[in-house]
Amino acid sequence: MEEVEKRDEGSHDGMLEGGVEVRVLVVDDSPVDRRMVEVLLKKSGAMFQVTSVDSAKRAMEVLGLSEDKTKSPVVDDQKVDIILTDYCMPEMTGYDLLKAVKEQSCQKPIPVIVMSSENEPQRINRCRAIGAEDFIIKPLQTNDVLRLRSYARTGLPPPPPPSSSSKAGTKRKMTIDLLAESGGSGSERRRPRLTGLAMA
Amino acid sequence: MPPPLCSRVLLSHPFSPMSLMALREQLNMLVNSMYIEGLLDQQFQQLQMLQDASSPGFVAEVITLFCEDAERILTELTKLVDQAVVEFQKVDAYVHQLKGSSSSVGAQNVKLACIQFRQFCEENNKDGCLNALNVVKHHYYLLRNKFDTMLQLEQRIQAYDSKQQN
Repeated sequence: MEEVEKRDEGSHDGMLEGGVEVRVLVVDDSPVDRRMVEVLLKKSGAMFQVTSVDSAKRAMEVLGLSEDKTKSPVVDDQKVDIILTDYCMPEMTGYDLLKAVKEQSCQKPIPVIVMSSENEPQRINRCRAIGAEDFIIKPLQTNDVLRLRSYARTGLPPPPPPSSSSKAGTKRKMTIDLLAESGGSGSERRRPRLTGLAMA
Repeated sequence: MPPPLCSRVLLSHPFSPMSLMALREQLNMLVNSMYIEGLLDQQFQQLQMLQDASSPGFVAEVITLFCEDAERILTELTKLVDQAVVEFQKVDAYVHQLKGSSSSVGAQNVKLACIQFRQFCEENNKDGCLNALNVVKHHYYLLRNKFDTMLQLEQRIQAYDSKQQN
């Protein structure tokens, strides 16, 4: 089954900072989770244009990426501002997709947020090590999607990092470190990240 | 002495608000009992909160998606667990999917049964898997039954609401 659903959720008035609509590519083999995320994005109050696909392979097609790394992307990769992908998917996993996106030679690879129902520090570290912007434990909540805008590639210059010259500034890195450290700390802490550390 | 105005209105209204109230009461009691009995957890409240005027059928839509997906998975699991040599990795992959979707909709008992099922998959325990599948089915069909009632009540309430708006 291959499906691409495009739901334009940004057709109302009311622009957010920069007035930019954020184009999200949601990748998840679960129809229930795809629908949940779509509606969460719509209800968040932010302007998201959502495209959903049910496999990483399909996501690669939408992004114009080839699994053959010797080929450079033919299609303009400006179609998507942020990728929100499930980790566990058949055939090509979210990790494989993340890797493929980050290996692209373009100047600003698309931000990738990984979702998983398993709160495993090893899994989180693996994703972080190859450049995932964040890792969210499912099921997603409203405050998870509100954070997405801060990661989205909007074409606007990113805010200057507080002290480091690295693009993934200290705050974001610390967020993911804390995530890894506090993984598996009990059923209440499904989302062991500090709120309020989102990029400005 | 004539009955008070409010009573006369309630008794004489063709689409009696009392019936609508009774339907809503019935729905609330059903959903509350499902929380109390562990069929649903707080994640279902998330679904309910996402339903509003702009997406009035959201809960029904997600429940329907969940049930279709769950039944597809249970069919596959039944075939796999019935084989002479069980492919535990394949079984686990399906149980993982069902665990995920049940977690997303707040189907607590089904989710917990899936977690138990995965244990047996890890142990390569065929009898355990057979038993666990039956437990998952038991909880799922119990939930399905109540979801069916819930959706019927929702539809009847929507019908009242749309009549009153016309």
